[in-house]
Amino acid sequence: MTASDGCGAPAGGVSAPADVGDQAVVQGRVTHDGAPVATGYARLLDSGGDFVAEVPLGSDGGFRFFAAPGTWTVRVLAPGGLSGDQSVTADTGRLAAVELAL
Amino acid sequence: MSRSDVLVDAAWVESHRDDPHVVLVEVDEDTAAYDKGHIRNAIKLDWQKDLQDHVRRDFVDKAGFEALLSERGIGNDDTVVLYGGNNNWFAAYAYWYFKIYGHRNVKLLDGGRKKWELESRELVTEVPKRAATHYTASDPDSSIRALRDEVVAAIGTWNLVDVRSPDEFSGKLLAPAHLPQESAQRPGHIPSARNIPWSKAANEDGTFRSDDDLRELYSGAGVDFGKDTIAYCRIGERSAHTWFVLHELLGQPNVKNYDGSWTEYGSLVAVPIELGAAS
Repeated sequence: MTASDGCGAPAGGVSAPADVGDQAVVQGRVTHDGAPVATGYARLLDSGGDFVAEVPLGSDGGFRFFAAPGTWTVRVLAPGGLSGDQSVTADTGRLAAVELAL
Repeated sequence: MSRSDVLVDAAWVESHRDDPHVVLVEVDEDTAAYDKGHIRNAIKLDWQKDLQDHVRRDFVDKAGFEALLSERGIGNDDTVVLYGGNNNWFAAYAYWYFKIYGHRNVKLLDGGRKKWELESRELVTEVPKRAATHYTASDPDSSIRALRDEVVAAIGTWNLVDVRSPDEFSGKLLAPAHLPQESAQRPGHIPSARNIPWSKAANEDGTFRSDDDLRELYSGAGVDFGKDTIAYCRIGERSAHTWFVLHELLGQPNVKNYDGSWTEYGSLVAVPIELGAAS
């Protein structure tokens, strides 16, 4: 079975190379005071603010989503009540990069 | 059945995690999370390797479940407390699975791994040793599992609750957005299904919303509590989360989880499919 057979949390982070292909990838990194946020969660919300997906952050503070073309919001939750939102536009065949400082 | 019978909070876990008859179990698809750190004395179950048959598309049979629990040191009288990532998707799936095989005392940690982590509670890497048991499972309880023919027969008759995101329901996406977009042969949803994403049942920290909020959520979206219900998603774990809400928290009598879900239904030949957003 491949990783895509499940709905589960993939290994955190974005160390594996992204094969963008015909996917609309939203990828980014979360920092706090300049350091990566290694414990936390990134959630993808649709244009109506509804939850679409959530992944744990990698040890480098990284996350990745395979979205669809359109406008999305990435919302990050981290210990200590830290959170942050950022809007991002995804397109097919392109990697949309997000840098989020909490 | 009430909330306190099926849900525990972090304080309960912290005061019971050293009780030998309480077995904490982290359930994930990717067990790297467990290996990185888990609640003290928790063992792990791998959703795919441990709980799925390796040949057929099915979960492990009764003998396989007995062998698994015996080997992991879970006894018939132990209280099993499940938790995991993804807002307890896989823990809820495992809960449903333990119920299929008749385990008496099983609970979920409300909020799962996420809430525990966001509260900076202790995680350890030591793996506990539990002595093997002789676990005896019941015959599978088919009253809480829907297979494809029942699902087709339920169109327009039972409540069908599609718990995927609106974009998966409408056919825009084939899989949740943290996965590459490949899955069933066809996108869309089962005709007459209501789209009530699993996430609407959870707070941002992963805990379940109040019973009153939950009742209003489902009845407001067109679920008739006087009827039987089938919940589905893509592979049956998000819908296990909704099955838990409807059957265990709200006490609805006849709720089934369709674990074949969209990866099966969307690949069936000659069954009806609808596209487009919920009406």
